[in-house]
Amino acid sequence: MAFRIRTIESTADGRKIVRDRDAASAELTLGRAAENDIHLADLALDAHHARLKLEPGGRVAVEAAGKLGFTLDGSTSRSASIDPAIGAELGFGSHRLGVSRDPDGVTLLTLQRIEVGAEEGFDPKRSFTLAKVMPSRRMMAWLLAALILGLFLAIPIASNLTSGADPKIRSISDSSWSPGPLSASHHGLENSCKSCHVKPFESVRDSSCKACHTNAHDHAQPARLAGARAVPPLGERLLQTVAHGFGKPGPGACVDCHTEHEGSGKMEPTQQKFCADCHGTLKDRLVDTKLGNAADFGTLHPQFTPRIVTDARSRKLTAVSLDARPREDNGLTFPHKLHLDPRGGAAKMAMNLGKQAGFGKGLTCSNCHQPTEDGVRFKPVNMVRDCESCHSLAFDKVGSTFRTLRHGDIDQMVADLRASDHGAVPIISARRRPGDYASGGTYYANFAVPNVGLSSVERALARGGVCGECHTALPGGVKPGVVPVTQVSRFMAGGWFDHKPHIQEKCSTCHAAEKSASSSDLLLPDIKQCRTCHLGEDSTKAEVPSGCAMCHAYHPSPMAPKQDRDGRKQLAIDLKPED
Amino acid sequence: MPGTSRKAAQIERRVSIDHEGFLRLAGFRWLKIALVFSLAAILGYIIADVQPRPNGGSWYGYTLGTIGAGLIVWLALLGVRKRAMTPGGWSLKAWTSAHVYLGLALIVVATLHTGFQLGWNVHTLAYLLMLVVIGSGVFGIVVYSTLPTALSANREEMTESQMVEGIAAVDRQLHDAAQPLSMTYSDLVLAALNEDPFRQGLWRRLSGKYRGGATELAIAACESAGPIPADPAIARVEALLRRRKAQLDRMRRHLRLKALLEVWLYVHVPVTIALLAALTAHVISVFYYW
Repeated sequence: MAFRIRTIESTADGRKIVRDRDAASAELTLGRAAENDIHLADLALDAHHARLKLEPGGRVAVEAAGKLGFTLDGSTSRSASIDPAIGAELGFGSHRLGVSRDPDGVTLLTLQRIEVGAEEGFDPKRSFTLAKVMPSRRMMAWLLAALILGLFLAIPIASNLTSGADPKIRSISDSSWSPGPLSASHHGLENSCKSCHVKPFESVRDSSCKACHTNAHDHAQPARLAGARAVPPLGERLLQTVAHGFGKPGPGACVDCHTEHEGSGKMEPTQQKFCADCHGTLKDRLVDTKLGNAADFGTLHPQFTPRIVTDARSRKLTAVSLDARPREDNGLTFPHKLHLDPRGGAAKMAMNLGKQAGFGKGLTCSNCHQPTEDGVRFKPVNMVRDCESCHSLAFDKVGSTFRTLRHGDIDQMVADLRASDHGAVPIISARRRPGDYASGGTYYANFAVPNVGLSSVERALARGGVCGECHTALPGGVKPGVVPVTQVSRFMAGGWFDHKPHIQEKCSTCHAAEKSASSSDLLLPDIKQCRTCHLGEDSTKAEVPSGCAMCHAYHPSPMAPKQDRDGRKQLAIDLKPED
Repeated sequence: MPGTSRKAAQIERRVSIDHEGFLRLAGFRWLKIALVFSLAAILGYIIADVQPRPNGGSWYGYTLGTIGAGLIVWLALLGVRKRAMTPGGWSLKAWTSAHVYLGLALIVVATLHTGFQLGWNVHTLAYLLMLVVIGSGVFGIVVYSTLPTALSANREEMTESQMVEGIAAVDRQLHDAAQPLSMTYSDLVLAALNEDPFRQGLWRRLSGKYRGGATELAIAACESAGPIPADPAIARVEALLRRRKAQLDRMRRHLRLKALLEVWLYVHVPVTIALLAALTAHVISVFYYW
């Protein structure tokens, strides 16, 4: 006996009927045809489908006899060799043939028809996809979308609409809309969006800016501003039309120049092109303007027109172009050359006075010119502080005490000198100083050129006298006096010059004081001088590319341009002439 | 002449029948278009004089933003378009090819639109979601072009049903073969039989690492009975368990490859919808607080 064939059939009520029959032959045939040893009534099978052969070693060889194969443990095959001790399961159409070994050593073939729908509830197609282990894509999509729309759209809008117009009442979650931090000066408004974005879907208006910036004056009369603006090129016109279509204000709106949300730190200075679009060809449109065309400091900028005193008596400041080589008349006689000459008398005197008096080898600019506290410009020269150490006003000596004239007070000077006229002889100074006055090399206050018959007051005021040395006496009249001195502390009111950033330069780089023999020389550098370092904003050659905003403020102000003003407190400069 | 044109039409028809993947469609037509488009966007970015710094709110920023938003909506419409297949130049394949390359070009357009100004806000959220969507799409392309070979090598011409049926066949034999075993062994076999390869979570499927499975434990227990167990039933069960293990390993490799081929869609699709939501919030918020 080679095989035992066990057929298992199920009755309608699920009861199993098991029939065993033994086959003596070592080779069995299987198929749909009735003559097969194992006859299976299944249309899915060949008439002669397969052969099973018991091999000498006890293994069972299975060969497909027809065109169709069979399955061996689920996978399609045409031939197989099975060890019944381990067993295998063969599938023929809708039948399953188990190969195993019965306890008595006989090879057992268990034949069973596969029940249709046996694997109910199992969907292989779905099981092999991720659908089973992942939440549904659609659900995730809706969830994420709802979350984002809720958090970043619905909540901020609802909060904005219900919180009213007061910018102090902050809307919830709208900080998630901020495209970037505000500049340092607006940092306090960081979470108060409504301060600027007043109405939904309306771009920021000038009124929002002016609510705080009440002192930001208009650049010029609106009518003149409108007339000054050049017709922009086609592309820009198109952009403006589109912008207006969407309700953007401008051109000339605050936000056109002052862009925000560009990152914390200083607000970026306004670009040169925003000035040049009007000023580049201003004269073409505003024919009556006094301003020259300016588009770029390096290529198109008028010569400087400092305000200087051309008549000391009137003390009036007049703007004059440096091209006209103007002469100044500030009421003072002061030759810079004489004082700065390293081999001159002034230098010698300074050396004699020495370090304890604040002098080094001769006179330098800083011996007389003192910077203001902010370093922007220089304090007016003060006679008592800056000159008197050399230009002594001593006129008398009583015991060991010198009597000194009071600078700036004519009446006091007249009274002092008249009092000393009674028998007093001008003193000889105990201090030895080099100079022309005394033949023995001794300095003494020479109150006048030797001129017999004049009073000491008249001698003092006369040319070369203690006053007249630097001052011009008023023509003789009822009252003695000198022409007033006007020291201009800020020459260019329309622009801004700061000495501090130029501190590494020598004074003489820009101010030709060493060669100036007369105080009527205007020692201001002209535009050519500035252009050795400063050229326009886009210049690649310049040591310092300089936009308009470096020196000019758009909003009329006596202060430094915004770019220069940030970060330190700048005092407003009093333009009143100094006495 | 009508004969000639008909012949030409026939040739054309043949060309379109020949297989050509969506990546190399029409000699990389969409790759070239996307490259030209990206270069033009970069060039415009360099030329456009946006002050004080490049910004999404400048005229060029708005232009790129509009193009980008349009692209995103169009790219998302592939989900609708793929449900209607059409032949020819406007075929779904051409659409997919354009989807891939224009989707990659979107990285350039959107990045330039940001002006490299990123922050903790809804605008950057939209940008990041977009990058996630594109990144998952790139992953999808990579797996689609590399994994099917491995998938088919692993299957050895078996269908998925056959894999399931194979394990079921072994399981039935195991069930019968384990009948004579003691309780200790039969419990282990039962646990192995109850081991459902589909029950494991996403991470197991993606990594393909299943340590300490019930089948492995049962094999280890049989092995501990010695190289030639006294009880031939144990030897038979062990052999069947090993067969089950082999079948299971094949199926798990199959599941892993299929999961890799599929998982990107679980990112790509929901995040696309999230992106559309973030894009809506981005656009509305920008104009709400204008």
